Amino acid sequence: MEIILAARHVSKSYGAAPIIRGLGFTFHAGEFVSLVGPSGCGKTTLLMCLAGLLPIDAGVLTFQGKPVVGVPDGMAVVFQDYSRSLFPWKTNLENVRFGTRRSTGLSRANATERARALIDAVGLSGYEDHYPWQLSGGMQQRIAIARGLASQSRLLLLDEPLAAVDAQTRADLQDLLLSLAQRFNQTCLLVTHDVDEAVYMADRVLVLAPRPTQIDMEVRVELRKARDQISSREEPEFLRARHEILSRIRAMRKPGVTIGDH
Amino acid sequence: MIINLILKLRLIIGLLILMTVWQAVALAELVNPKYFPRIDAIVVAFRDMIAEDNLLEAAQLTFSRAFMGLIGASALGIGLAILSEVLPWFRLGFRVIANVLLPIPPAALVPMAIFMLGLGPELYAFIILMVAVWPPFLNGVAALHGTNDVQLRTARMLGCTDWQTLWQVRLPAAMPEIFAGIRYAATICLIAAIVCEMLAGRDGLGFMLFKKAFGQRIPDVFALMFLCALMGAVLNGATNFARHWVTGWNLKMQEVAR
Repeated sequence: MEIILAARHVSKSYGAAPIIRGLGFTFHAGEFVSLVGPSGCGKTTLLMCLAGLLPIDAGVLTFQGKPVVGVPDGMAVVFQDYSRSLFPWKTNLENVRFGTRRSTGLSRANATERARALIDAVGLSGYEDHYPWQLSGGMQQRIAIARGLASQSRLLLLDEPLAAVDAQTRADLQDLLLSLAQRFNQTCLLVTHDVDEAVYMADRVLVLAPRPTQIDMEVRVELRKARDQISSREEPEFLRARHEILSRIRAMRKPGVTIGDH
Repeated sequence: MIINLILKLRLIIGLLILMTVWQAVALAELVNPKYFPRIDAIVVAFRDMIAEDNLLEAAQLTFSRAFMGLIGASALGIGLAILSEVLPWFRLGFRVIANVLLPIPPAALVPMAIFMLGLGPELYAFIILMVAVWPPFLNGVAALHGTNDVQLRTARMLGCTDWQTLWQVRLPAAMPEIFAGIRYAATICLIAAIVCEMLAGRDGLGFMLFKKAFGQRIPDVFALMFLCALMGAVLNGATNFARHWVTGWNLKMQEVAR
C-alpha cells in the first residue's frame, strides 16, 4: 500500500524544552488514523510539524515521498478553533471557495461549483450566502471541514476538530467526517484527547507518550469500516481497544501528578 | 415602536430641542442679544450670505478640502502601516519620525507651510495629511501586527504567499480597526481645513468666519458655525457609509454577538 506520510526520528524543541523526541510512524493511503494522548503531550505541536507549519529540528518527515518543507500541496488541515479559522469577512461560500486556491487551473466558475457541492455534502446548502458567525459552532465546523476538502487534498489533518462542540453535535460530525473521508477518498489523521472518539473513528490508534512526545503504543481497531454510534461502541472489539488505550494512558500518569487540561 | 421612531429621528429631534431652547434664551434676552442672535436672524444672515458672499462656493471649497484630505490621509495611513509591517527597518525609522511629527497641532504648521508651499492646494494637502494621517496609520500598524495566529496558519495552509496573506487575510482583518482611525481622522481633517483657511486668509469657510468675526457680524458668524457643524455631520456620514460598505460584516457580527 502507498505510504502517504512517514516520520523517522522526528524531534522538536522549544528552546531547551524538548517537545517531540525520536518520533516515527507511517500512514498509508486510505487509512483513518487517530493520534491520542494525555493533555499537554504535544499533540498540537506534532500536528503543526506534520503540516509543515512548524519546522522540525531533527529527523525525516516525508509526504508522498517528498520532505515536508512548508505546507505541501495535497495536505489540508481542519483546526479546532473554527471561529477564528473561518474568515469572518467572507461568506460561507467564499470561505469554502478560498479552500480551492491550491487547485491550480481551476476556473472561478468551477471553484464556485465545487464549493457549492461541498457545502451541500456537509449538509448546509441554503447557507452559502450566510457568514460563518451567523451559524452555530457545529455548523461552522462543517464549513471548515468543507473548506478542508475543497483543495481535493490526499491527506486531511484534523486538529481536535470536535473538541469545542456539544456531545450530540460531536457524534453527528464524527459520522459526517467518516462518510466524507470515504466519499472523497481522504486519508485522515485525527488528533484528539478523547479515547472513545479516537477508537470510533480510526482503523489504527497511535497513543502518544507525554513530553517529550513519541509513539508509545499502536492499537489496530478491527471494526467494520462503516461505523454506527450505538452498535459499534458496544462491540467487544471497540471495548477492547478502548480498554487497552485507557489503561496505557492511565499507567503513563506518574503517581501524584494529575494531568489536567493544559 | 415609539422608541424606535425616536431613535431614528433623534438627530432632528435633538436639533429641534436645541433651536427651541436657543430661541427661548434669545427672546428672553438672558444673554446680551448683540452676541446671541435669534434663530430667525441667523437664518436671514445665512440667506444673505448665500446671495452676497458666495457662501455655497466657500462651503464647497472647505468640504472638498476636508474630504479629499480624508481620502488622502486614509490611503497614506494604510500605505505607511503596510510598509511598516512589511519592512522592519522602515518601522523602526518611521517610528522616530512619527513621534516628533505626531504632537504638532495644525495651526503651528501653517505659517511655515505657507512660505514653502504658497496658498494653493498643496498647502491644504500638506497640512491635512500631516495631522490626519496618524489615526489610520497607528490603528493600521497595531491591527496588521495583531492578526490572530489561527488565521495566519489557515492562510498558509491554504497556500497563500506572504503577499497574498497580507491582501487576503491581514488587511481585511485589520479594516475594522483602521476605520475606527479613519472616523477620528474625519474630524481632524475638517478642523485642519478650517484652521488652514483662517490662517491662509484667502477663501473657504474658515476665512469667512474670521472676516465676519472681525467685522462683528455676529448672526453671520453663528450661521457659519452651524454650517461647519453640518459639514462635520456630513463628513462623518460619508465615513460611516464607507465603513458599512467595507466592514459591514464586522458591524453585523458585533450585533449578533450582543
